[in-house]
Amino acid sequence: MKEKIESIKSVALLAIEQATTSSGLNDVRVRFLGKSGEITSLMKLLGTVSKEERPAMGKALNDVRVQIESALDAKTAVVEESEKQARLAAEAVDVTLPGKTSAKGSLHPLTLVREDILRVFLGMGFSVAEGPEIESDLYNFQLLNVPKDHPARDMQDTFYVNDNFVLRTHTSPMQARIMTTTQPPIRVVIPGRVYRSDDDASHSPIFHQIEGLAVDKHITVGDLEGCLQTFAEQMFSSDTRIRLRPSYFPFTEPSVEVDVTCAICHGKGCRVCKGTGWVEILGAGIVNPAVLEMCGIDSKEYSGFAFGLGLERIAMIKYGIPNIKLFYENDVRFLEQFN
Amino acid sequence: MLAPVSWLKDYVDINVSPEVLAKKLVAIGFEVEEIIYQSKKVSKVVVGKITQVAKHPNADRLRVISVDIGSKVLQVVTNVPVEGGETVAVALDGAVLADGTKIVKGALRGVESEGMLCGLEELGITVDDVTGQKSGDIVRFPEGQKLGVNALEALGYNDVILDVGVTANRPDCNSIYKLAKEVAVALKTDCREPEINYVSTGASVKEMVSVEVLNPELCPRYMAGGVRNVRIFPSSQRIKSRLRAVGIRPINNIVDITNYVLTEIGQPMHAFDRRNLKGGKICVRTARDGEEIVTLDGKKNALKSSMLAICDAEKPVAVAGVMGGENSGIADDTTEIVFESAKFARDSIRRTSRALNLRSDSSARYEKGIDFASQEYGLKRALTLIYESGSGEIAADLLDVKVDYEKDRKILFTTAQIEKILGCKVPRGTLKSILSRLGIPVEDNGKTLVACVPDARDDIVGVNDIAEEFIRVYGYSHVTPTLFEFSALTKGGKPAKMMFRDNVKEKLAAFGLHECVTYSFTSPKFADRLRIPADSPLRQTVNLLNPLGEALSVMRTVLCHSMLEVLAYNAAHFNKSARLFETAKVYLPKELPLTELPEEREKLVIGMYGDDVDFFEIKGVLEGLFDTLHINAEYAKSLLAFLHPGRAADVTVNGINVGFVGEVHPDVAAEYDADCRMYVAEIDLETLFGQYAEGGSFKAFSKYPPVERDLAVVVDASVPAGDMVKAVREAKIKFLDSAEVFDVYCGAQIGEGKKSVAMKFAFSSTERTLTDEEIAAEMKKILAALKKRVGAKIRV
Repeated sequence: MKEKIESIKSVALLAIEQATTSSGLNDVRVRFLGKSGEITSLMKLLGTVSKEERPAMGKALNDVRVQIESALDAKTAVVEESEKQARLAAEAVDVTLPGKTSAKGSLHPLTLVREDILRVFLGMGFSVAEGPEIESDLYNFQLLNVPKDHPARDMQDTFYVNDNFVLRTHTSPMQARIMTTTQPPIRVVIPGRVYRSDDDASHSPIFHQIEGLAVDKHITVGDLEGCLQTFAEQMFSSDTRIRLRPSYFPFTEPSVEVDVTCAICHGKGCRVCKGTGWVEILGAGIVNPAVLEMCGIDSKEYSGFAFGLGLERIAMIKYGIPNIKLFYENDVRFLEQFN
Repeated sequence: MLAPVSWLKDYVDINVSPEVLAKKLVAIGFEVEEIIYQSKKVSKVVVGKITQVAKHPNADRLRVISVDIGSKVLQVVTNVPVEGGETVAVALDGAVLADGTKIVKGALRGVESEGMLCGLEELGITVDDVTGQKSGDIVRFPEGQKLGVNALEALGYNDVILDVGVTANRPDCNSIYKLAKEVAVALKTDCREPEINYVSTGASVKEMVSVEVLNPELCPRYMAGGVRNVRIFPSSQRIKSRLRAVGIRPINNIVDITNYVLTEIGQPMHAFDRRNLKGGKICVRTARDGEEIVTLDGKKNALKSSMLAICDAEKPVAVAGVMGGENSGIADDTTEIVFESAKFARDSIRRTSRALNLRSDSSARYEKGIDFASQEYGLKRALTLIYESGSGEIAADLLDVKVDYEKDRKILFTTAQIEKILGCKVPRGTLKSILSRLGIPVEDNGKTLVACVPDARDDIVGVNDIAEEFIRVYGYSHVTPTLFEFSALTKGGKPAKMMFRDNVKEKLAAFGLHECVTYSFTSPKFADRLRIPADSPLRQTVNLLNPLGEALSVMRTVLCHSMLEVLAYNAAHFNKSARLFETAKVYLPKELPLTELPEEREKLVIGMYGDDVDFFEIKGVLEGLFDTLHINAEYAKSLLAFLHPGRAADVTVNGINVGFVGEVHPDVAAEYDADCRMYVAEIDLETLFGQYAEGGSFKAFSKYPPVERDLAVVVDASVPAGDMVKAVREAKIKFLDSAEVFDVYCGAQIGEGKKSVAMKFAFSSTERTLTDEEIAAEMKKILAALKKRVGAKIRV
């Protein structure tokens, strides 16, 4: 029996050494240590050994079992590690292949710019309002100090519905609508579509404006400038400067055009600003006292400022969009750039 | 307004470059849109002297000449019969002529030519622009002209012209003289007056003509002067070239003088041939209905009683302020003229000019507004030019019919008021001096100031106007920016409806859709395209009186038409698929013609096409949107005629129809020139806004394992799956979390006209693990409900 044990031991250890896979090792385990394995079978034969020899035989058998087990465990650990390494190697992917994404949508650049602008003014205590696009002549012109047959009507090419109704040529009629219904202090911005019968390379018959209006007991040109300076810094960059140039609008007095330092060249002069370093972005002024009075606000007690800016122009500057027509073609290749 | 710098210099000394002048004008409110250099009309055309002339070896009519341009001598081949010794204008290699032609050196019949001799036409000018040249010939300079210099400069065609944008409040500045006054203010210097200097001879103008004004409200002032022994001849070079520089064609001395005065003083003038004024009379009156006049442009105009006419004793001889009549114009044999210098009401001119569709430099000027002082000044200036040019003998006296008017307007103000408007310190002395330089004298009463505003500045009516006049010269750089220094705090914020729309847009973008913006007006054909029924209110559109074209003439009542156009556009422009949306208004008139504002209603439109797009994708977007808005929508087969009859659903929320979703009918898609399947949904955002719930409240979820059960039943093929889910939902099943259809199968085993629908149900309890028996009992109830409501049988 002793020889038998020694023989099993050397066969088993050899088999373990030669095994290269975890399933092969498992086979070894079953062959020697399984329920009917060779070691287990010998254990069962111990009863047939003489009483004197039995303890020594038992111990020898057990020692061999422990040796086989520990050899198996050691080899299994090695084999499993190498098998894991092989599996990981086999699972390698080309990490430069594209990832799985869900489709990305986008908001229109005019929406993005509009929300950027509104955010700046919301931060300064302005509320947001909207108004009708089909507007009465009264609000679009007359209450803004532009009577019928006034030459200032030539400043804007108007779409008419009939003698009394037009497509609003600016967001300014909402100034009158708000002032006739609200008592100061008023601080409001009004985004919206406006219409002018002008269609060429640099004009669209439909475009977007944001109107601003502030009316209170003591509003100055300084407040207008401070408010627009804040806007320019937040909208473009903190080093953006503005300048006011005298101009004319019937509903503001004094009236100004407002330029910002060119966002492209930072005032050095480039193609966008035509070498001047400045880009015109909006018209503004102190609300004409005649307008306040027509809207039922006492111009002796109150004053205000108003401004109107074109969204398309700001978006073109901000995103470097070369042509106003692109906004309205809605080509997917244009829209998807703004996600 | 085109303003030649040389003309401005008649009245103001300008010692700065045109660029600096332009900047200074911009700073005081006159935008300079362009600086035009006459001498840059062509490039690389210089003065050269012909030193040698030889015959061309290969062509009898060509000569090979040597042209000395100072720095070198060129060889030029020309067909001009020159003899040698002439000083000429030569275009060099790389020159660009007035019409854009580029000159490149090259061989002409085998002989190298390095340039081309130029005539006036190549330089883009005429004999009216320069002296000493002939038309149809090459340019010839006198002996001794410096060689190599710009030929236009050498011709004296070297003025610089400013294109000045004059704002509508400053009509007076549509004249060289008034603009020169502003230039003087900008340059802090003085301005001279145009010269008035003539001697009259012979009898009074009253012997030539009488003037009567019947409508003084339309013609507040009418002045007339007379000229006898008139001689008609071409104007002087100076007048001709100045008129050409501002874009007016010289005609003869008399007509040119009226145009010169219009440009210089801003006063429209008209010259009548006196022999054509019947009865020696000018009567300013509104026309009689039915009266006609053929104007100088040869057009026959039917006048109306609302229009002001200049008439003689019998008939209209001019449309007042707009255009003279052919019957009274200046001819070569005219011997006596009457100059008209009048002020007409601007709105009357504007209406008449538009009604007759008749425009002139005069009407354009009158529409902007003319002040009272100009008539006399303009008339005297015209007579001065007649006198200077020897064009005739000036009759004594002037006729002047006018209403009373205030020569100036007094405005009382204080520096504190100006400071309150501007928010900056206003030095009293500076204020007074600026205003006085602007021609607005100020009386200082110690505490208050009084500005005396001349009639010409009718744009100045109050303290704000005074503030503007001051600051535009003083400079906005003196204003310090402040942020509502003296104002109350305001809370600001966006209205809920706008936030709702923002929310919808952000959600749709997150679902992978791109936002579009389309025009609000469209073609009236949209209603037929979309098969909108004849009696539908959606056919009641607000129409434009003056659209840019029929395709942009009606305000839309639906959005999906624009969306389908955008989809078709994208499909035709190399885009394989598109998933788009827009939120915008539709315009629904309450009655037509419009007497009150129409309803402007906010809508959402979604559109898609592409190989991987189907009905369930666009519906899925709607469902996803409604889910995030906590809105329960129901879908039922739609009968909208422009949609696919089997792939269209009406959408309702809480029993209210909010729109539709579906595939576009192939016939309709074809009309949009789309060769793909298009999917579209249009939803009323206003209704949705009324139905949606902000956020949601927390609902406890179970910590016990949920139980899922599947059930396959057979129903008639026509039973909508939605009805089956609804039947289960309404059957008050206990523990039920969700019920959904996950498979629909039709096939031979199921039977003709039948389908098998597989549904999945999930149950849970927050209190305990549910038992099989409990679930089995509920499943039985579900089956019973399906049997009862849709005739379902269990699939075996």
